[in-house]
Amino acid sequence: MGKTILEVRDLCTKYITRSHEDVYAVDHVSLSLEEGKSLGIAGESGCGKSTLALSLMGYYFPPLHYSSGEIIIDGRSITGMDPDTVRKTILGTEIAYIPQAAMNALNPTQRVIRFVEDVVRAHRPGTGKKEIYDMACARFAELGLPPEVLEKHSVELSGGMKQRTVIAISTILSPKVLIADEPSSALDVTSQKMVIKMLRSLMEKGYIKGMIFITHELPLLYNVTDDIMVMYAGQIVERNSARGMVFSPLHPYSKGLMGSIIVPEEGVREQKLTSIPGTPPNLKHPPRGCRFAERCAYVVPSCRHNEIPMLELEGGHTYRCGHSAQHLREMYQDEQK
Amino acid sequence: MKGYRRYFRKKIFWFLITLAASILLNFILPRLMPGDPVAAITARVAMGMNDASAVRRIYEEYARQFGTDKPMLQQFVMYLQNLLKGDFGLSFSQYPRPVADIISSAVGWTIGLQLPAIIVGWMLGNLLGALAAYIRKGFDRVVMPVSLFVSNIPAFGMAVILLVIFALRLKVAPISGAYAYDMIPNLSWAFVRSVFRHYQLPFWSIVLTAIGGQAIGMRSMSIYELNADYVKYSRFLGVPDRKIVGYVFRNAMLPQVTGLVLSIGTMIGGALVAEIIFSYPGLGSALLTGITRLDYPLISASTLIVTLMVLVVTFVLDVIYAFIDPRVKAAQFD
Repeated sequence: MGKTILEVRDLCTKYITRSHEDVYAVDHVSLSLEEGKSLGIAGESGCGKSTLALSLMGYYFPPLHYSSGEIIIDGRSITGMDPDTVRKTILGTEIAYIPQAAMNALNPTQRVIRFVEDVVRAHRPGTGKKEIYDMACARFAELGLPPEVLEKHSVELSGGMKQRTVIAISTILSPKVLIADEPSSALDVTSQKMVIKMLRSLMEKGYIKGMIFITHELPLLYNVTDDIMVMYAGQIVERNSARGMVFSPLHPYSKGLMGSIIVPEEGVREQKLTSIPGTPPNLKHPPRGCRFAERCAYVVPSCRHNEIPMLELEGGHTYRCGHSAQHLREMYQDEQK
Repeated sequence: MKGYRRYFRKKIFWFLITLAASILLNFILPRLMPGDPVAAITARVAMGMNDASAVRRIYEEYARQFGTDKPMLQQFVMYLQNLLKGDFGLSFSQYPRPVADIISSAVGWTIGLQLPAIIVGWMLGNLLGALAAYIRKGFDRVVMPVSLFVSNIPAFGMAVILLVIFALRLKVAPISGAYAYDMIPNLSWAFVRSVFRHYQLPFWSIVLTAIGGQAIGMRSMSIYELNADYVKYSRFLGVPDRKIVGYVFRNAMLPQVTGLVLSIGTMIGGALVAEIIFSYPGLGSALLTGITRLDYPLISASTLIVTLMVLVVTFVLDVIYAFIDPRVKAAQFD
């Protein structure tokens, strides 16, 4: 087992709405990421994936607020740090972020290199222009981006190029953890492939030590990440290796999610494509007990009353369901027959 | 670089077309007004004369001199020829004073009054708007309604309000003119002081009306930019707030530059009335005299000067825009 690079314990963050109601979009989330590994987070829209991404940064601004829990990056807890300190010493250097809408992530009136200068100087004040330029050139070249991009404005770049530029800028200071929020969702397959290749090479070359990859595209996760975590209504419902998650999902929601996609591998032609009925619950007033109960095909009365804890199986496989793993598997098998 | 050249060639082409059209309109429109200016002048000169044929001769003499007896097309050609020589002709109303003389003495006052006023108003307005967007809360709650209120007072309304308060009630400012009526323009200290005192009310009446609109525009642009994705992204990379504020206000300013140019364009139109209220000896007052007395050359020349100013400013804006906004550059130069 490698060194834990990112550990999150019982993190809760909330949105405070205009009517002063608390919405817990991230509810007691715990996760850990080992050095050299990548973790995928999946779920349907509105399940709290993106909020989790933002929450992991340890820097909150309205309407998102920190509530409780702890974030530890490479052995150092960043919880309770003064926000300005987090911004100066953590963001960009310890943990970095690739936004969901990379298309608009670059200031339209600024050349890429000027922004790179601002980013580098925010953490290493007084670095010379030439030094930054050389450093950026080298890094861009290594990641397969032409250095001319540095002299361009964002309007002059194509969508895929913009996304890769954003990734290169986010990781220019070699942060330990990279959080990629749907980095390839808006791209065509060719650009998508290049983005994935780039993220992989960042890992391989050791510029980043761990990655959290958030997406709703499950086939992509299976190809990119080591582990997959499934989120539902602000909670983690299951975590397993990518392979385990795709081929034998345990939680009924994970199963529904995996059943609703096509994995381009042998045997899928015979599988039926299914969908999950209903919509996720309103997080303003989350239901008692299992949050998936309303939509679950295997629901029993006790699901709606008892808080369901995370259960651990062998090999780091965890899940959150009122049924035992064995019972679930038996039910799934009966269905197949 | 080829793109630049094509862009500018296109801009210059349109600049010239607009100029030609405006010269034509500036020539024709005053002459479409009802009334015969030459008859008016003749009546003034021939006051008390009984001899009808003498009056007729005087009329014909003037008509010949002004060229109003010739067909419109021929007049226009003459007008163009003179224009090329920088000659605007003689004024009807202040005969025999050349129009060029009237304009050149007026245009300095107008530009001296309006340009600083518009620029100061623009800068103050943008500053207020930017602060309102950035601070929000109480500050915004005061600035917004006040700006809305003030921006809806026309320049002449503001002029009258200021005039009543400061000149009539408080008696801290002179009522009219650009300098004390008993002074002759010179560079003495006393004259400069007098000009400065007379400058205040017209200046602030224009500044105050300009502030409101600019502040409202800047506020909403800044709020929009503050919520842009690049702001969030920059924050998450640890870029300090003062840098981000720099990005935001630079981008929010871009449409405001258009606002500045447009307000320079409406300089004469909008603030003309303020000039008239304060009897400020500018282009506005000259144009008003010209219109009331059917002084074709004076009207044509004043409006031509205004048109020229607007055209030049817009042209300069187009050029500047290509440099300050890469999006415009990308769209135009391809």
